[in-house]
Amino acid sequence: MSYEELENKMDQTFLAVRYNVEIEGAAIKPEEDLDVVNIIPTEEPFRAIALAVLYEDREASLANVEKALANDISPIDIINNGLMKGMDAVSLLYTKGFYFLPDLMLAGDGMMEGVKECEKVLGHKSETKGTIVSFVAEGDPHDIGKNLVVMFLRAGGYEAIDMGRDVPTVDVVKAIKEYNPIFVTGTALMTTTMTVFPKVVEALQKEGLEVPAIGCGGGAVRKDFVESFPMSVYGVEAYHAPKLADAIVKDKKTWKDLRKEYADIVGEFVSEYS
Amino acid sequence: MKRFTRMIYKNPDEMVFGKAKFPVSQRWNIQIGAGYVLPEIKVAPVEGSEESKEKMVSECRNITQSACERAVAVGLPAFMLEQEHIFQQTNNPEWTAECTQIQAETLEKYHDEYDIKVSLRATPADIRLEERSPGLRGSDYDNKVMESVEASAANGASDVAIETIGGKSVSDYGIARGDPKAILFGIGVLGSIDMEYMWKRIVDVCKKYDCRPAGDTDCAQANTAMFMAGGLLDKDCSHTLAALARAMAAARSLVAVECGAIGPLKDCGYENPIIKAISGVPIATEGKNAVCAHSDLMGNLTAAVTDVWSNESVYHRQEMGGTTPEVWLQATGYEAALMNTALQTGQEKVLRDLYTLTDKYRDPQALVLAYDNAYRIGEAIVKYGNDPYLRSRAAALESGAIINEAVEAKKMYLTRFERDSLDSALKIFEGLPTESDQFIDECLRKYSRKVAEFDPKSYEL
Repeated sequence: MSYEELENKMDQTFLAVRYNVEIEGAAIKPEEDLDVVNIIPTEEPFRAIALAVLYEDREASLANVEKALANDISPIDIINNGLMKGMDAVSLLYTKGFYFLPDLMLAGDGMMEGVKECEKVLGHKSETKGTIVSFVAEGDPHDIGKNLVVMFLRAGGYEAIDMGRDVPTVDVVKAIKEYNPIFVTGTALMTTTMTVFPKVVEALQKEGLEVPAIGCGGGAVRKDFVESFPMSVYGVEAYHAPKLADAIVKDKKTWKDLRKEYADIVGEFVSEYS
Repeated sequence: MKRFTRMIYKNPDEMVFGKAKFPVSQRWNIQIGAGYVLPEIKVAPVEGSEESKEKMVSECRNITQSACERAVAVGLPAFMLEQEHIFQQTNNPEWTAECTQIQAETLEKYHDEYDIKVSLRATPADIRLEERSPGLRGSDYDNKVMESVEASAANGASDVAIETIGGKSVSDYGIARGDPKAILFGIGVLGSIDMEYMWKRIVDVCKKYDCRPAGDTDCAQANTAMFMAGGLLDKDCSHTLAALARAMAAARSLVAVECGAIGPLKDCGYENPIIKAISGVPIATEGKNAVCAHSDLMGNLTAAVTDVWSNESVYHRQEMGGTTPEVWLQATGYEAALMNTALQTGQEKVLRDLYTLTDKYRDPQALVLAYDNAYRIGEAIVKYGNDPYLRSRAAALESGAIINEAVEAKKMYLTRFERDSLDSALKIFEGLPTESDQFIDECLRKYSRKVAEFDPKSYEL
């Protein structure tokens, strides 16, 4: 039987179901999602500012912010009641599966443009929920995971210090001293570079330093390895990072709590923590 | 350098697993693509082995010996062992030398004792960092990579492969933001330029020794898209865009062959069936027996025209059935045995078609790599074979056409996200300049500003 004959004989759904297509609901405007309705402000100019972020429209976002600033609206209010609300809605739609990573990245770009304009008027950096240091393990050039973590943290309202990739352990310790972060994230792709994480912890302990938690994750990183040394928590998905940070900031959770309550904190089933 | 402007295979039906137009012979009496499929085993060194050269050498010996023991225990006629270097190995070429030597000695011992055919693949890590001066060219890391290639070739590796990272800064930006132009520039243009820089030198080194220059893989770019695309319910990269990235990757990875690589192309190059169709070189691939390393949506399909069947990577540890070098070599070995049985009994085309059809419509990424479609993409590439940009663009457009035809035939179903990102990408690609220089100028202006790590000097642009 030829290839074509074989193919024509087959019922594709007998072999594979594209469940992503099967479960897709009707298309709705993002601002009409019932949960988003509760996030997006109703009063102007904040609504327009938030919607520009929600629609990933960088130019509109910037124009709206400039207009509001020209009308003497407080830059802090623009950030908190406009830009951040838009980003909160984007993050929610990502969590619900309606938005995708590119939506988040582009909306984040729009939000950051707006924040920068506000900071120009403020004359200093705006307040964030806290400072977080993010690095890729020494000897490891794979940084897309770290880039995602940084993006999710910034979108979540944190100042993420991006230390780049192949970062010497001494530099990580130096940054922790300098920034006194509420959380640290480290990523590695390989079994033989994840071994940097306990070395960072050891170096911190030698200097009598402690951070609430060091989130360790990436390709070959395993939970059992990460839990074999203190101060650490195994991070499963990049988008979990701001949720873990929130738990530290709002609920004063420690690395021990994060290990025990990981799935509850991130609000979903996590196979590695089941 | 002679570019491919014609297909070596005259039609897709000629392609089958275990046979390549240009088989490769290596030491220890092994032929690849010469009528049988070779199983491959690759194991990631255990954490802690990076602490000293002695530990690393011991680790390499143990992995090799375990694989050899299981190979003879279950009667494998042949197998390939691959060592993907860790950072410390490539950064310390003397480590590379001693590790390769102990692996070669161990394999040779089993070859001498049992007459088992063995192959040792060394894959130095591409540890270059674009953002760290002087960038990808002429840095200490660049020199270490080449020294490590030479240490591998000089100390017993049957062949050398690598996963080069040229263009990754820009393609990563494009993948994360769903920017098809950045992906095309990163893979098709920057990746191709860097491949030429790396592969001319690798081929020259290998020629000095009894070591074959094997091939490259677009692991750093197209696999990033594939891994981020993930399963059906993941939300990080559109599966249609990942399929387009894969097609572009074929135009990029082909450069290694144009520089003198002869295969088997490296296992994680999912674009390899396209390159086999164009060039006739044997290929390694991975699929269902690589689930220990990662998940993909084409576990059987990737076996259809393979010559070396790999497990990709696995932790070095114990499982219930033995250590992982033993367990996963046995798994790839039995799959290779099935393919070899088909070859012996003249049923190889039936098995090839069954492998293909199990996954063809599971996902757009699988669809474009079905051997008939891979061939079509190959034809699109050779039509513009002399221009890396135009052939990458042609590959992307052809893969889009393949997906759209399957959608129209109601065989492939897409989500709105997949549909929208495909439509948008194809519209962008169709509107791009037909002159390479113009495209490069536009991209240099745009991405030099947007991507902090991107350094045009690394590509002599």
